[in-house]
Amino acid sequence: MTDLSVRTEDVWKIYPQEPEPVEAVRGITLEIESGDFVAMAGPSGCGKTTLLNMIGGLTDATRGRIWVGDHEMTRMSPKERARLRLDHIGFVFQAYNLLPVLSALENAEFTLLLRGVPAAERRRRVHALFDEIGLEGLADRRPGRLSGGQQQRVAVARAVVGEPALVLADEPTANLDSAASASLLDTMERLNREHGTTFVFATHDPRVMDRARRLIRLVDGRIESDERDAPVRPGETHAPATSTG
Amino acid sequence: MSSDALWWRVAWRNLWRNAHRTWITASGLAFGYFASIVLVGLTDGMNAELVENGTRLMVGQVQIHAGDYLPERNMHRTIGGYGGTDVESLLTRIEDHPDIEHATPRLFGGGLLSSGERTVAGLLLGVDAEREVHVSTLLATLDEGRLPRGGAFEVVIGQEMARQLEAGVGDEVVVVVPAADGSMGNDLFTVSGIFQTGTPGIDRDYAVLPLADLQSLMAMAPGRIHEIVTTVTRSRETPAIAASLAAALETTAPEDPEPLDVKPWTELRPELHEAVALMDSMSFVIVIIIFAMAVFGVANTMLIGTFERRREFAVIRALGTTGSSVSRTVVYEGVMLGAISLAAGALVTWPVMVWWHRTPPDLSRWLRGFEWTGVQWRPVLRVEYSVDAPVVTGVALFATAIFAAAYPAWRATRVPPADALADR
Repeated sequence: MTDLSVRTEDVWKIYPQEPEPVEAVRGITLEIESGDFVAMAGPSGCGKTTLLNMIGGLTDATRGRIWVGDHEMTRMSPKERARLRLDHIGFVFQAYNLLPVLSALENAEFTLLLRGVPAAERRRRVHALFDEIGLEGLADRRPGRLSGGQQQRVAVARAVVGEPALVLADEPTANLDSAASASLLDTMERLNREHGTTFVFATHDPRVMDRARRLIRLVDGRIESDERDAPVRPGETHAPATSTG
Repeated sequence: MSSDALWWRVAWRNLWRNAHRTWITASGLAFGYFASIVLVGLTDGMNAELVENGTRLMVGQVQIHAGDYLPERNMHRTIGGYGGTDVESLLTRIEDHPDIEHATPRLFGGGLLSSGERTVAGLLLGVDAEREVHVSTLLATLDEGRLPRGGAFEVVIGQEMARQLEAGVGDEVVVVVPAADGSMGNDLFTVSGIFQTGTPGIDRDYAVLPLADLQSLMAMAPGRIHEIVTTVTRSRETPAIAASLAAALETTAPEDPEPLDVKPWTELRPELHEAVALMDSMSFVIVIIIFAMAVFGVANTMLIGTFERRREFAVIRALGTTGSSVSRTVVYEGVMLGAISLAAGALVTWPVMVWWHRTPPDLSRWLRGFEWTGVQWRPVLRVEYSVDAPVVTGVALFATAIFAAAYPAWRATRVPPADALADR
């Protein structure tokens, strides 16, 4: 697996809005080592989703520089970023975001297909992963016939089946009950442990923060604290999530 | 399955996410196809009627003369020169051409016709009646009497000429005509019939008599004729057929002393040719308007569809899909929509066209025939169809669907993933 660390240098994201521009991210500099299991936490609007999106090249930074491995994301063309995401970065979204016209299996194998992996190999990898995360027998179901937990597991399968070096997960447990959430995090921890996949979460779910080996707290677009094996604060509860960061 | 196959699959399933909308959009395109084919068919039917009525009465579709006969129509400029030609042999050579249906010889003379105290100037047309009826409808328009018999000194005249001469069937008329030897040929003929074409100039000016009788009257040998008129298998392609016939006649008779002038109806009746071109242009413009309207309808529907799927486009972009792949799936939807519309359109259109072609509605209960560009029109809604119309219209339908998908496809590539995922 490719060794992909993440580095940001004085990254800003300013949305030009009336009457005042909104500074969603304000000069964040950080480094995430390859193989880490990191949670970026903070209240709604603190900039965590925006930062995650900039790391994944889904939106441009207004200022500053971002590197993913040796690739300077802030200098790459949209096409180059797409290729980098396809080959090395997996995404998990809060609202599952499975394609409703594809079955669970087709959703999960999506990135493998785009990479040109042969059908037999795709199916083997997806079925193995489905068995592992409790989706056996659901491969042919469309998302509309899966529960929220099942859909999120398919979304995780889609993100990790290509064995990306980096997985960016935005509120992955926001719509899941405790059991489904724990199961999902178990899967992600195992992938991190066994494959060295780097996980970066944007979350305000204490269950995710509990599992993270590094917890970066954001407030008003800035890093408030950055701690390894930090305990979850008493006031941090599982509040309803938003994807605005 | 390649990634291209994936996009086709996604496109196909997306179409059926909202089956009602897809069917309504496809119905719009299918109706555009139906309307275009019917419109082109009606125009082709009118054109065919125009050409047939405009050429079948007298002109024919191809005329063959001596090289210097037209435009003066000098009576001495007969085919083969003063010596004339072997008419039967020449007719055989002409009818051997695969695109020539029938051919008939003619001789023209200008003279006077008198009955009692009345005299009119007239054009005398010598014909082989047996052949003439296959080429022109002139002799089929007999209102009274019968065709003239050869050697019996009989003539048929137009209704207006008959009125001016106050002559009827069975009456005698004196025909005086300048002859080829410089004398004045004259003889007494019996009116065997009166024709009424509906074209005033012909009904007023023409008198038709057997070819041999007119040759005799004009002191011309049996091999002397001014014109051979033919019908062709495909009237719209007459210029090419005329060129091919001219080449064939040159090849088969290079020893002919006089070159033959082979003219298609498009040169003989340029006003008809222009009328056909005008009607073709009008139907083309209307077809363009039909499909232009369809473009906006389909584009609107597809734009709504792509707007509803902004989040999905954002997701597939986030997963590493390029903008071109995103646009491809939208264009593929357009292609499939085009295919469905074409199939539906063809299923409805062709049975209607075949029925209409076979039993064109006769409007004579409500409308009378009329004359336009010197041509008599029947009150019949005739449609014609060819291979061109469905192919061209099918291509236009596909182009419409793809063109209509182009803008939504471009919009889909412009979806900013982060904003769309945040529902901004």
